[in-house]
Amino acid sequence: MRDLKYSDILSRNTELGKTMQEPFYDIAVLSNIITSQLNEILEYTLRKENISARVTSGGYDNILQDAKRFNGSDLIIVFWEAANLIDGLQYKADTMSEEEVSTLLVKVKKEIDFLCLQLKGSSLVVLNRFSTLVFNNHNLKHNTFDKIVKELNEALERAIPHNVVLIDIEKVLARISIAQSVDFRYYYSSKALYTISFYKEYVGYIKPIVMSVRGKGKKALIFDCDNTLWRGIVGEDGINGIEMSGTTNGGVVFEEVQSIALALSKTGTVLGLCSRNNPQDVDEVLQKHPGMKLRDRDITIKKVNWEDKASNLKAIAGELNIGMESLVFVDDSDFEVNLIKQQVPEVNVLQVPAKLHEYPQMVRDQSRRFFTLTESKEDAERGRMYKQQQQREADKGKFGTVEEYLASLGMTLQISTNDRSQTPRIAQLTQKTNQFNLTTQRYTEADIEHFITDGKHRVFTFAVSDTFGDYGTTGVCIVDLDVGKKKAVIDSLLMSCRIIGRNIELAFADFMMRILLNAGIDEAAASFVRTPKNNQVADFYDRLGFDVVNRTDSETLYRINVANYKSSNIQYIEVR
Amino acid sequence: MEEKIKKVMASVFGVDVKAISNTASPDTIPNWDSLRHMNLILALEEEFNVEFTDEQTVEILSYPLIKMVLQEHGVKTGNNKK
Repeated sequence: MRDLKYSDILSRNTELGKTMQEPFYDIAVLSNIITSQLNEILEYTLRKENISARVTSGGYDNILQDAKRFNGSDLIIVFWEAANLIDGLQYKADTMSEEEVSTLLVKVKKEIDFLCLQLKGSSLVVLNRFSTLVFNNHNLKHNTFDKIVKELNEALERAIPHNVVLIDIEKVLARISIAQSVDFRYYYSSKALYTISFYKEYVGYIKPIVMSVRGKGKKALIFDCDNTLWRGIVGEDGINGIEMSGTTNGGVVFEEVQSIALALSKTGTVLGLCSRNNPQDVDEVLQKHPGMKLRDRDITIKKVNWEDKASNLKAIAGELNIGMESLVFVDDSDFEVNLIKQQVPEVNVLQVPAKLHEYPQMVRDQSRRFFTLTESKEDAERGRMYKQQQQREADKGKFGTVEEYLASLGMTLQISTNDRSQTPRIAQLTQKTNQFNLTTQRYTEADIEHFITDGKHRVFTFAVSDTFGDYGTTGVCIVDLDVGKKKAVIDSLLMSCRIIGRNIELAFADFMMRILLNAGIDEAAASFVRTPKNNQVADFYDRLGFDVVNRTDSETLYRINVANYKSSNIQYIEVR
Repeated sequence: MEEKIKKVMASVFGVDVKAISNTASPDTIPNWDSLRHMNLILALEEEFNVEFTDEQTVEILSYPLIKMVLQEHGVKTGNNKK
């Protein structure tokens, strides 16, 4: 992105715009300075990832007025420049009387509260923290402008609702330097402060947020072993000849890389190994080497063998039930890196840099691609849950029929309705689930909150457990009820891939149809909206006996007379 | 250089390169408003690695003027890629 010139971005963006398809992702930029160059740079960044972004600017210095107007956008970005809170605050602040300062603070704090109130119902908001850094990077002591901004940032922290993400704009300034970030020529003539270079860097902070809500974030980080997790080759140097400890010169960068990976696993990133090695050598290191930060329990999936790595990565994606494009793979060898680039270009490959001191920072730079907007208890548990899954798969072989196997699992399905405490998890499931997802509607926490409280929707969540462990909340169904007309519309139905293949969906459908019947609903409508990933549920409603109202390549509409629904009657799942 | 200028202008104004004539100005290009003029200045500066003076940013309101000012900044005419 940094290398691409602005005019090339503009022309490529126009080209991408021509072939863009629905659903569109509408972004509004509200600001009290001119930020118009951001629009196309951001559009291009997202369109390149197949997100049909359309960016609109609000009116100049109309943040409060426009917050309401653009309420329906998928994302609102607020550029509230401290220096322009009043014209020329950066130089006026120090000559203002105490009274003038406190009047200003009261005014802006009220504006913050008002803005937050307006933004509360929005899907998702990104707001930049106030900063003085552009103007005040030389002074030894904090001046009045600094103090004002500090107090406003504190007010901002207190006021923001949960659908707002704060961005530290100072990090962007630090990455490319203040000199590269601002252009005072246009600040004084047109109130445009930031440069093209700044916006190119800034969109790097917005992209992971959008990728996360659109279900396109990275999910698994897979490492090679020798000279990638440790220095040396275990098969040749032996367990005592390799280094990855911070107490050794050669090991320190590897300890840091392992620790970064470990930290990522705690927020839901799955860790794996893909290495040409003797499995027992690697296992011995994982279990016994005193310098290892990563242990067996942290590694969800291991492909340590002599097969080619492209096949191994395919197998990893298959077993984790995620797409190849959700993988990031780290390896030190030119050969392997090029093989992966050729054979499985969807996988993101990183090569351990020749200058080893750059290695930890390279991995750290990647970590934002694993960003999840909504972190939940399930994230921290994900790696462990995948492991339980593998145990179940291994047990599958021992039974005569799949039904027998399922019956042996002792499954329990716990269903809750409109449970507000689950809002973050529900939003996250709608954002991340791709395969068992009938309509693939992505919702933010604010959207879910709205469904739960508006009295017209039932938001069902279901949690599954069995003798091997607890999967946590893994399914969501959102139904729009019109009790007066005795009609219901199934807006969303989705299940995490962790619980696919157990007929959970049938047990849930039985439960839901019974609820609808008891609520006096005569007719239920449902739909299947095709995406590149959800083919496995293309005939889900057909299998349940719904009538097809209309079928096209992209969508099928269904209807059913609730009283005619034939229950699947799964005996081996206990519904609570 | 001429081609490059027109390419930049076309991408900023969202029109085909052919629409940028040798006399192109806000009169012939409806999209040439003050915001896009700023984008044009920034795009030209980045493309040719120059920095216009405050006066120049206001003055260069046509293709011939852009070309002239870029020449003043030492950008060579003709089709050589530098």
